[in-house]
Amino acid sequence: MGESRTEGVIAWALMAPALVVLGVFGIFPIFYAFFVSLHRWRIKKGEFLGLSHYGRALGDPIDLLGLLIGLAVIWVGLRWFSNHIRIRKAFGAAFLLAGCWLALHFLLGMAASGDGRLFNAFKVTLFYSLGTIPLEVAGSLLLATLLFKIATARSFFRVLFFLPYITPMIATAVVFRTIFSPNPSSLANRFWALVGSDPQRWLYDSRSIVALALQGIGVEAYPDWVDTMFPSMSLVCVLLYNIWVYIGYDTVILLAGLSAIPRHYFEAAAIDGANTWQTFRHVTLPLISPTLFFISLVAVIGTFKAFNHIYILRTAGAQDTVDVVSVLIFDQIYQFHNAGYASALALILFLTILVLTVVQNRLLGRRVFYGD
Amino acid sequence: MVSKRTRLLHRGLTYAGLIFAGVAACTPFVWMVTSSFMTRGETLRRVLWPAALQWSNYYSAWSEEDFGLYFENSLMIAGLTVAGTLLFSLTAAYPLARMRFPGREPLFLLILATLMVPETVTMVPNFLTVSWLHRATPLAWINNWPALTIPFMTNAFSIFLLRQFMRGIPGELWDSARIDGAGHLRFLFQIVLPLCRAPLLTVGMFTFIGSWNALGWPLLVTNTPTWRPIAVGLQKFVSEAGPEVHLQMAGAMIATIPVLVLYGMVQKEFTEGISMSGLKG
Amino acid sequence: MMRTPQRISWLQVTALAVFCACGSSTDAPESTAVVDVELVDPQGQQVVFWYQHTRQREDGLQELIGRFNETNQYGIEVRGEYAGDYGDIYNKMMVGLQGGEVPDLVVAYQNQARAYAEADGAVDLLAYMNSKKWGLSDDERDDYVRAFMQQDQVNGQQFGLPPNRSIEILYYNQDWLQELGAQAPPTTWAEFATLCRLARDQPFSGNDDPARSLGFIYEEDASRLASMVFSRGGDFMTSDGAAYTLDTEETRASLSLMKQLITDGSAEMMGEPYGDQTEFAAGRCLFILRSSSGLPYVQSAIDAGPGFAWSVAAPPHTTPHPVVNFYGASVSLCATTPQRQLAAWLFLKWFTEPPQQAHWVQASNYFPARKSTALLLVDYIEDNPRYGIVYDLLEYGKPEPSVTGYEPVRRLVSQAVIKVMQGGDMDASLAQLQLEANATLEQY
Repeated sequence: MGESRTEGVIAWALMAPALVVLGVFGIFPIFYAFFVSLHRWRIKKGEFLGLSHYGRALGDPIDLLGLLIGLAVIWVGLRWFSNHIRIRKAFGAAFLLAGCWLALHFLLGMAASGDGRLFNAFKVTLFYSLGTIPLEVAGSLLLATLLFKIATARSFFRVLFFLPYITPMIATAVVFRTIFSPNPSSLANRFWALVGSDPQRWLYDSRSIVALALQGIGVEAYPDWVDTMFPSMSLVCVLLYNIWVYIGYDTVILLAGLSAIPRHYFEAAAIDGANTWQTFRHVTLPLISPTLFFISLVAVIGTFKAFNHIYILRTAGAQDTVDVVSVLIFDQIYQFHNAGYASALALILFLTILVLTVVQNRLLGRRVFYGD
Repeated sequence: MVSKRTRLLHRGLTYAGLIFAGVAACTPFVWMVTSSFMTRGETLRRVLWPAALQWSNYYSAWSEEDFGLYFENSLMIAGLTVAGTLLFSLTAAYPLARMRFPGREPLFLLILATLMVPETVTMVPNFLTVSWLHRATPLAWINNWPALTIPFMTNAFSIFLLRQFMRGIPGELWDSARIDGAGHLRFLFQIVLPLCRAPLLTVGMFTFIGSWNALGWPLLVTNTPTWRPIAVGLQKFVSEAGPEVHLQMAGAMIATIPVLVLYGMVQKEFTEGISMSGLKG
Repeated sequence: MMRTPQRISWLQVTALAVFCACGSSTDAPESTAVVDVELVDPQGQQVVFWYQHTRQREDGLQELIGRFNETNQYGIEVRGEYAGDYGDIYNKMMVGLQGGEVPDLVVAYQNQARAYAEADGAVDLLAYMNSKKWGLSDDERDDYVRAFMQQDQVNGQQFGLPPNRSIEILYYNQDWLQELGAQAPPTTWAEFATLCRLARDQPFSGNDDPARSLGFIYEEDASRLASMVFSRGGDFMTSDGAAYTLDTEETRASLSLMKQLITDGSAEMMGEPYGDQTEFAAGRCLFILRSSSGLPYVQSAIDAGPGFAWSVAAPPHTTPHPVVNFYGASVSLCATTPQRQLAAWLFLKWFTEPPQQAHWVQASNYFPARKSTALLLVDYIEDNPRYGIVYDLLEYGKPEPSVTGYEPVRRLVSQAVIKVMQGGDMDASLAQLQLEANATLEQY
């Protein structure tokens, strides 16, 4: 018993310096932001407003309650669905459907009574996240395994793929702006001409890619939701930029993960006669899963919080289709001079990311294979 | 056994794919390098290659602003930040990965929470904290190295990464260390630390890059050129009338080269797996 | 399991305590005793000046600061510091006003100055301007261009002093114009349109890519539209600043013309930053509409290329006289101590005196706020006739709205412009723009 107490003391002692720094510079700002969000706060503190900013952002509290109930029902439904007793499973499925319907209904209610721009921003953020993460993770995994194995010019390629992340943003952003400019002679348009299509507006296009595809095949009339329920062309260009920058970043981390795998695992697999795919699936993948988990978790947090690389490619032509939540927060502070409302938005974003992380931790965390 | 032809095909495809992706990856960098050697006219006319290498751009960029001083500052700031991060993240990740104590998982979540707020919102409270520390402690924080380094001397990202690696270390190692009479501290510094070479280098490098490129915070906490880092110096090449691309790119090159060199040295360490000597079976 | 909740709640308690302390410090009432400016002594004060100028402008400014430090009779020492771009400076001021570390003088756009004033961070300059001992004489006051001074006023209070301004002008390729058969730049929009179409059909002789030949490149920035609307006698806002007037005849006329020119291929929307300057300098575009502060940049861009004769003029107009859009940042005085404020004022006053103005505008390529500076610039104008052309237009200047909520409206305007140019319904877009713009006013 004394041992576990000493263990506790040692643990906290080891973590202390980091916890102090994180507590002061990482956690305190969250509380401060909450404090600011309760007031009318331009540059200096104004009157106390309670949760009025949150009300303005999220809409009718009843709808919020409905949404939370819907999410709870989904949660219960998921748990029962994964149960192997058939009747539990059936009920689980029913709950899932009911929960989804409830959540969606009340979410739309919130969007109608709350700040339309905020809900649009969440939609854009979701598009951005879903569009970036799978490609980034898959791409970096592929790259990392390739770079790990090739013998010739290994170092050269490793440096090459990291260049997008290292190159200062002033250079990469200018180049991408030029590549994706609506100018008929821009690189993207020249490439598009090779494929036999008309020049596009790229970063200045607020129409969704599905709408553009439909127009491309001659369909001129389509319902509104085709334009609003899919990412816009400009967002897709921003997505490409981000994947391009961060693939090298993820690759480096995965490379580090691969190089920390004890060699004897690979040697044993080779002795057993495993081919490339088998080695990858049964040796590499499980042993690199802690790193993969890390990358996917950090990617979710990172894409929901993303700002710099998005803001720099934002044009007026994109209208509001690249305005992620961080951009909204930034505008509230620097254009509307409204720090109080901005802080409320930041807290809402924070809670969203927190919930997503907890969920991701629960869902994926169990699948990670640790050495012991 | 795979046939020689299939293996050649695999290798050919692999290299073709890598070269294609490589070209895509390095195009902006190449543009940056070539632009840094052009005259202003050439950059405006969008030529692909400068007629003659304008080394004068580099000289102008370096001497117009006090790049020498900024360089030194950035090195110092980044160095201190990396040192602090490596030490504090290592010691913090170990308990989270391999020790048992109540509240471990919620604490880990709390640490991750520090990543979830955008910088736009954290800058103000952090500045207030640093101002208060400046007044309340004998150490000068504003316009000095503490404000530029201490808030970044650890971050959840580094702790998380190291924790993942440490959790992957086989339990047998700990068991055999225990049998030898070692406690957690010895295990951490004698066995775990050498094994974490790759992630530590990764953490060190990303911290260095983050510190090196930081712009918003240094602008906020410095008022004079004394501790101004290189990112701020780079920003001064964009004036209202428009960017002087050739000088900007020369400055950007000067700023990028140390990072490139550092990465070049580090990536060599990512070799094919580690050998676990001393472990049987 | 027992320890953790306790620890976390301690964390919360500590955090609560800390931010309550912060809260109370910003609550502390400031001593705003009214001090008689006449009695204050500025001797030996140290003044800090935050600016965003870089390179040659910074050099020019630092030179003037050095001159002041050497020659002023009060031993005042001014220290000028680069504090980032306009956004960065606002950031620093924002945190500084909460944490207590502000400079004495700061470069600020009108909406920023208003924000500072609202937070009691910027000082009303009228007390200093009217002071018998330290202020401006009637002649000196009249010497400032009235429109410039008014731009920095809010409810009769002066929250900034303008050291310089820029105006939007039409840059044109003189050689090409002559090739097209015109001797002078267009003074009406109809002439402008005709020349654009001629330019499309007859590329410039010095253009090395004759397949690409345009009359005009249009940037969606709100200031360009403002220039066009002003030149037709319109405005963005009612004269009392109570409501936006964005859905007007003048706006429609401006946008329609642009739309027509784009449709028939004589004009294009700008696709990348500074794209218009690049095309103009390469002889591929006949006209561009830009700030006068870009004069030296356009100059060197043209020199670096094939080179041609070019000049500037007021944008075409339907009004009897030309009307130009002017803008620029002013310098605000921050609330510190009475002594430092007075010392800062003395520098600001000196800085805007004609001899210093003459030096400043030559280094910065801005235009002076004091009319009598023209007398000192005779030689400079002779050497730089384009500068002289712009100078003569200063009296016809008209500003965009300077209300606090104008920044977000600028973006709304850009978005509406693009929507219309991309084929959207003009009536609907403008109506919506006006609604949304007026909505921003309600937030203030």
